[in-house]
Amino acid sequence: MNNEDFSAPKWKRLLLNRFVLVPAVLILLTVGWNLWVVTHDHGIVEGQVLDATGAPVEGAEVKLWVFNFTTFVVKATTTSRPDGSFEFANNPSHNIQVSAEKPGKGRSARVAIRLYFASEDFVLKDPLRLTDGT
Amino acid sequence: MKKYPRWPIHLALLAASFVMLVPFYWVLKTSVSGENIFSYPPNIIPRDPNPFYYVDVWYAIPFARFFLNSVIVSVMTIAANVVLNAMAGYSLTQSFRGKSVVLMLLLSCMMIPFQTTIIPAYLITGKLGLLDSYLGLALPLFSTIICIFVFKASFDAVPRSLIDAAKIDGLSEWKIIWKVMMPLATSAMATNVILSFIWSWNNFMWPLIATRSADMQTLPLGLARFMSYQEDSTGALYAFCIMVLAPGILLFLLAQREFVQGLTSGAAKG
Repeated sequence: MNNEDFSAPKWKRLLLNRFVLVPAVLILLTVGWNLWVVTHDHGIVEGQVLDATGAPVEGAEVKLWVFNFTTFVVKATTTSRPDGSFEFANNPSHNIQVSAEKPGKGRSARVAIRLYFASEDFVLKDPLRLTDGT
Repeated sequence: MKKYPRWPIHLALLAASFVMLVPFYWVLKTSVSGENIFSYPPNIIPRDPNPFYYVDVWYAIPFARFFLNSVIVSVMTIAANVVLNAMAGYSLTQSFRGKSVVLMLLLSCMMIPFQTTIIPAYLITGKLGLLDSYLGLALPLFSTIICIFVFKASFDAVPRSLIDAAKIDGLSEWKIIWKVMMPLATSAMATNVILSFIWSWNNFMWPLIATRSADMQTLPLGLARFMSYQEDSTGALYAFCIMVLAPGILLFLLAQREFVQGLTSGAAKG
């Protein structure tokens, strides 16, 4: 304030100072983030189920676990397609786990997924691997 | 005149800064790593830092609502403090009968802790019908004596001739405050803004008593509520602390020069 340049136009003095610029940048970031959230919060979780040899598993039961205050509970189940892929379209949470199981093929470990916001669309990078099926 | 080396002062200041900043760093580090505070040896650099504890906090409680409540109450407090304290500070720069008694009363009132006046404050707020409202939450902090004296010190530094000239030009007392004194007291204003913001933002006791519905709670109450059912999550707790502290730190960093000037103005007066 004391280093104010009084030769500058009044609008410049009013707008181009840190008390305006910092909140403006924060508001812009908030708006940008919310736009990103709105366009990416369909609750879609995608992935693939493979067996121990790396082959896709069709018909595996995939479970979506959602954190419920103190523990994880099953929110939804789906079945993997012929290419082993699966998709959930109704994930409501930001803290989830997915697991897969098929009789005779085994079961996968529960994979923990942390999302940046609730219902964020997410594609599982590593496939769920069924083991110990004998 | 003998010139002393400055490095010992800088060294001492560095050490003091280190001691003061380490706790903040530790809270920040734990909020992104979730490391147990009792783990030994402690990690100086956070392992696998991530923002997910902040996400947990956001969804564990109605954080946005509490944040909005805190912002509204703080803005009301700041506005009232600047206006009321400036008026009170200006009046104390004038000569009037009983001024020394008023000054003594104000100074002695500074020694009474808020906790002792909380029951009358509650009863008055209740009689006004302002319990569980934003105005009721902000009301006890509308004017603070320290901030009145910050304005008084700043106004005392304005030459008397300037006020006399304004009076000769036909300005009323009200206009003298806002057109002459306030532009010259930006540091005092910044100090008022920061102090009233911090006191309002961190206030726990009064909102605890004055609010009834969960929708009217402020962030410190949210923190207490959060701790009551998330006590096992160190990372989330520390993330909440950072989210509560961040606006105050940001405001201080924005106006720190004016804040320091405001606190020290009048300090060297004889």
